[in-house]
Amino acid sequence: MTEPNDDSPTAGRFRRTLVRVMSVQVVTLVLLWLLQHRFSR
Amino acid sequence: MRAMHPLNWLVVIAWLAYVAIDGLRRARGTKHIEGYFLANRDLPWWAVGLSVMATQLSAVTMIGTTGQGAVDGMRFVQFYFGLPLAMVILGVTIVPFLHGAKVFTAYEFLERRFDAKTRSLTAFLFLLSRGMSCGTILAAPAVVFSAIFGWPLGWCVLIMGVPTVLYTMIGGVQAVTWADVKQMVLIVVAITAMVTVLLVRIPVSPSDALHLAGATGRLRVFDFSFSLKNTYTFWSGVIGGTFLMLSYFGTDQSQVQRYLTARSVDEARSSLLISAYWKIPLQAMVLLIGVLVFVFYQFEKPPMLYNPVQEQKVREAQPAALASLQSRYDTVVAARLDAARAVSAARKAGDEAATAATEEFRNRDSVATAVRSEALALVEKTTGQQSKDVNYIIPRFVVEQLPIGLAGLFIAGVMAAAMSAIAAELNSLATATVIDFYRRWYRKEASDAHFLAVGKGATAFWGLFAMVVASYAATLGSLIEVVNRFGSFFYGSILGVFILAMIPAARARGAFIGLIAGMAAVGAVNFGAPQVAFLWHNVVGAVTVVVVGMLVGMVGGNQSLPATTPGNGQR
Repeated sequence: MTEPNDDSPTAGRFRRTLVRVMSVQVVTLVLLWLLQHRFSR
Repeated sequence: MRAMHPLNWLVVIAWLAYVAIDGLRRARGTKHIEGYFLANRDLPWWAVGLSVMATQLSAVTMIGTTGQGAVDGMRFVQFYFGLPLAMVILGVTIVPFLHGAKVFTAYEFLERRFDAKTRSLTAFLFLLSRGMSCGTILAAPAVVFSAIFGWPLGWCVLIMGVPTVLYTMIGGVQAVTWADVKQMVLIVVAITAMVTVLLVRIPVSPSDALHLAGATGRLRVFDFSFSLKNTYTFWSGVIGGTFLMLSYFGTDQSQVQRYLTARSVDEARSSLLISAYWKIPLQAMVLLIGVLVFVFYQFEKPPMLYNPVQEQKVREAQPAALASLQSRYDTVVAARLDAARAVSAARKAGDEAATAATEEFRNRDSVATAVRSEALALVEKTTGQQSKDVNYIIPRFVVEQLPIGLAGLFIAGVMAAAMSAIAAELNSLATATVIDFYRRWYRKEASDAHFLAVGKGATAFWGLFAMVVASYAATLGSLIEVVNRFGSFFYGSILGVFILAMIPAARARGAFIGLIAGMAAVGAVNFGAPQVAFLWHNVVGAVTVVVVGMLVGMVGGNQSLPATTPGNGQR
């Protein structure tokens, strides 16, 4: 989007970073959900 | 109330002295404005990343959010659910734009892209809101320390304010960043130590402790209801939170200036990713401290009112009413202690016994909460002030219950959080004052030494302003609230202007009119539908600016674009 001359490296890097960050977030949210599920019944 | 041990004070004083002296030492090498305001764009990503986190984490997090964990549980963590996505989006949009444009401030970029009035208005809104917020950030811990330690408010403000203003003024962004790194390390150590000590001191197993917290709903993290009225839900966090974090990290100079000091665009991106990975776990830990303090007070007699000053006022004005409430509270707390012990014993016996015991514990806790609510209502009626008792839970626990040394460490951590947030704001306020106003409108050409001197003067001015606002926090309470409320009107709207800046078809007139329309739309929602939670204001503001800005741009026709427009080469 910001560097049209190297769109594919930027897009690729964005995808990789997005996947990494969101994976970590999903793991965090699952742990928080487990905490809620295990102790809030 | 018990006074703090001298050894704790030694820890606090040693820390303040270390941060101030090291900050002053960093003044070397800041002879030019590029060095003073941007550290010659040569800071490593990890230092910038820790500074980004330290800037966001204020003393309110350490005393207010932990207290919120004690009374309300973990659900506040949903507020941050949009942060990781926002950081990734910023990494490929605004960060390369701003870093690549070699600007000093985010608003400077807006003049290159649009015009001077859009730049000046956004910079002015930043100075107005951040100037006031700097005062409130300093006031929050000062008011609490003043009540807990019985010191005059002015002294508490000076103890934190003077060293911060000194190292920020003399050392510039270098001093701010390296102080932030140290402050952030201390904060993480203090948080981890608190959780560890709490787990050791609670007289039941961690599993039983969490079970007790869960029984009262304090471990309920997720609220999937789609209600615009609830401030903290999964959806307001993910959608509204993403817009808020995009605004804060992408357009607020106090954050933008952090990553403009990074060596490259890639390092600037990496610095933001530290928050993307660690903010939610850290915030969960902060809230967990509060939850564990709640459990701790199931087994130790808790104060009915945590703010000692307000308690004293009520004792003098309404002694009989307070004594009656205290007696009821003592009885119900004793009954709750029995129930908590019974839960722990029953969990060893089996599911059915545990369910009945948990139910009994929950009922007794509800009664204790109801009596405390009556006491808080009595405080508000007697003093005519909001009780804000939640902010005093953790400081009192720290002073009265933590072992020697650790209490000092935590108090130093609270001060560190306040100082690092204020330092970054003073530094960015000075930068916007000099770059967006003084150099732009008053004196375009002058030596670096001149601008450096003006920058130091501006830092001192904003530091003094923050300390005056903080010292009169009680008197200025409603004014500060108005300014903070007004601040929320334009946060999302400024984000909208930056989004327009990245759309090649957007025009200057559209951006300015869109900004005004965005703020008006948020104002209309705020007053017309006050039940809508504030996180949604950012969405309303940003979307309105983009839509109105594009429409006005289309109506205005094809004006020529400035040289730095993304559409004509400058990236």
